[in-house]
Amino acid sequence: MPLLAIETSCDDTCAAVLDGSRILSNVISSQADHERYGGVVPEVASRHHLELAVPVVEAALADAGVGFDDLDSVAVTAGPGLIGALLVGLSTAKAIAAPRRLPLVPTDHLHGHVAANFLDPDPLEPPFLCLIASGGHTMLAGVRDHHGFEVLGETLDDAAGEAIDKAARLLGLGFPGGPELERLAADGDPQAFTFPVAMSRDPGLDFSFSGLKTALVYISRELGEEETARRAADLAAGYQAAVVDQLVTKLRRALEAGEWPAVALGGGVAANGPLRRAVAGLCEQKGIPFKEVNRELCTDNAAMIGSAARFSQPLAYPDYLSFDAFSTGPRGNR
Amino acid sequence: MIGFDTATDFTVVGATDAGRPIFERSLPPARRPLHSQALLENVTGAVESLGGWDAVERIAVGIGPGTFTGIRIGVATAAGLAASTGIPVTGVPTLAALARSIGEATGAGTVLPLLDARRGEVFGGLHDGRGEPLEEPFACGPEELTERLSGPGRSGPAPMVGGSGAIRFRDHLVQAGLSLEPDESAVHRLTGRSICELGAAAETTGPENLQPLYLRVPDAQLWLERDGKKV
Ligand SMILES: [Zn+2]
Repeated sequence: MPLLAIETSCDDTCAAVLDGSRILSNVISSQADHERYGGVVPEVASRHHLELAVPVVEAALADAGVGFDDLDSVAVTAGPGLIGALLVGLSTAKAIAAPRRLPLVPTDHLHGHVAANFLDPDPLEPPFLCLIASGGHTMLAGVRDHHGFEVLGETLDDAAGEAIDKAARLLGLGFPGGPELERLAADGDPQAFTFPVAMSRDPGLDFSFSGLKTALVYISRELGEEETARRAADLAAGYQAAVVDQLVTKLRRALEAGEWPAVALGGGVAANGPLRRAVAGLCEQKGIPFKEVNRELCTDNAAMIGSAARFSQPLAYPDYLSFDAFSTGPRGNR
Repeated sequence: MIGFDTATDFTVVGATDAGRPIFERSLPPARRPLHSQALLENVTGAVESLGGWDAVERIAVGIGPGTFTGIRIGVATAAGLAASTGIPVTGVPTLAALARSIGEATGAGTVLPLLDARRGEVFGGLHDGRGEPLEEPFACGPEELTERLSGPGRSGPAPMVGGSGAIRFRDHLVQAGLSLEPDESAVHRLTGRSICELGAAAETTGPENLQPLYLRVPDAQLWLERDGKKV
C-alpha cells in the first residue's frame, strides 16, 4: 500500500509516493527565486512552500497513478530544518492524513539522507558509513541498522555546501554555487594557491569550513579585484580541493577507526564530481564497495523521507493532531 | 461549515450548522502561539460537533494579514484538508473577520479593526459592521494611524476600533479622541463564527488557489529592491 511523503525543510518543495522500497513518484520543485538573493531566505522559502505544497503533492500522486484513497500513511520531515518551512509541510501532511484517519510518520531529515540508500534498485544493507554533505549539514553517520544512525562527526561551523556557496559568491558566481564552482574549477590548477585543510591535525571526526572562506577572502583581497577575476579558475580549483580533502580525510579516518564494510554519500555536495571520484578512489584503495545513488536522491527529496519513514515510529490518528515541528533537535538513534 | 484563523496570536476555530454557531474556540498563546499544536485538534473537534467530515460542506480560513508563520499554518492546513477531502475551501481576510466580530459585539456600523503588525505598526482598514471592506487594508505606524482617524477628509462618527493593534496603541487612539473597550474585552478578538459567516458568503476555490494575504513583502526583498544587491 502506498505511502505519501512530504519534505519542506529547506528550499525545495518535495513530495513522493513509495510502495515499500519502490519509488512510484518523486517530485521536486526547486525555488529558483533564491538566486536573486544569493542564498536561501527563510521567509521567501516558506512562501514558496505554501504555494507549492498541494500542487506538488497532487503531482506526486498523479505521477504514481494513485489517489488519496489509495494511501495508507503520510510521512513528513519534522526536522531539522528552517522552522517556518518545516511547518508548511507538517501542517499540510497532518491535514491530509487527519480526515482519513491515516497514520502520520514524522521523519528526521538526516535519517532521510541515510535512508536514500535503502531504496530500490540495489538497496544498501547496513552497516555502512554515510558521509552527508549539503548546504545545511555536514556529518559522518555510522549506520548500523535501518532505524537510525550514530553521529561520528559533524561540522563545528559552516556546512560544506555553505562554504562552497560562499566561495562561489566571492568569485561572482550564481547560487547555488556548487555546480558553477565545479565547472570553473575544472579549468583551474588546484595547487596554484594554498588553502588550509582545517582539522587535519585534529584527531576527531568533526569538520570545520569557516577558516577556508576566511582564507579565500584574504587571498582575493591581496590579489585585488582584477587579478581575483583573472585567477578565478585557480582559486575555485584550490578551494574545492580543500573542501574535498577535508571531507575525504575524515572519511578515511572514520573507515580506519571502525569496521565499515561499505560507504555511501548523501546531500547536495555528494553530487560534486571531484568528491565522488576521491571517495571512489579511497574505497577502491580500502577494498570496500562505494554505493552511489543518483543525484536526485542525494539532494533533498521526499523519496528519502518515505524511505526513512518505513523505519520510523508512526503516530496513529488522533495522536499526531498536536504534533509540532522541530528546527533542530533529536536525531540519530531514537 | 468550519472556519478557523491563525493569523493572530489566538488559535480560533468555529463551526456553524445552517448558519447557527455550534462550536467556538479561541485559544490564547502560551509563550508563543499554539497554532501548530492546537489548530488541527480543535478543527477536528469542530468537525465532530457537526457529525464528522461527511457533514462539512465548506472550509473557511483566515488568510491574514497577521504573523507570516501563523498565516501559513492556517492556509496550509485548510489547503491540505480541502485536497484530502475534496471539500470546497474559501479564504477570508482576517481584518474582515475581526471587523465583523467587532460589529457583532458592539452593534457599530463602521468599524476599524487593528492588528498588531509588530515593528511599531498595525494592519488595519475601515469596514462596515458586517465585515465589508470600505477601503484597502493598510500597514502603518501610530502617527499615520491617528492622522487617518482625525485628519482632514474624515467626517461623521468615529469608527469603533478593536483588536490587538488597538490594544497596542491604546494611548495614541485615546489621544485621538476614540474610546476603547478594556484590553480583556472580547471585542478585541475575532471569532470563528465570523470566519464561517464571511466564508459562507464568499466564493470557494480549489486548495491550490487559496492565496494568503501577507500585506508585507519579505525583508530580503525590500533590501534587494532598495540596495539593488544581494543580501
Ligand atoms: Zn538535506
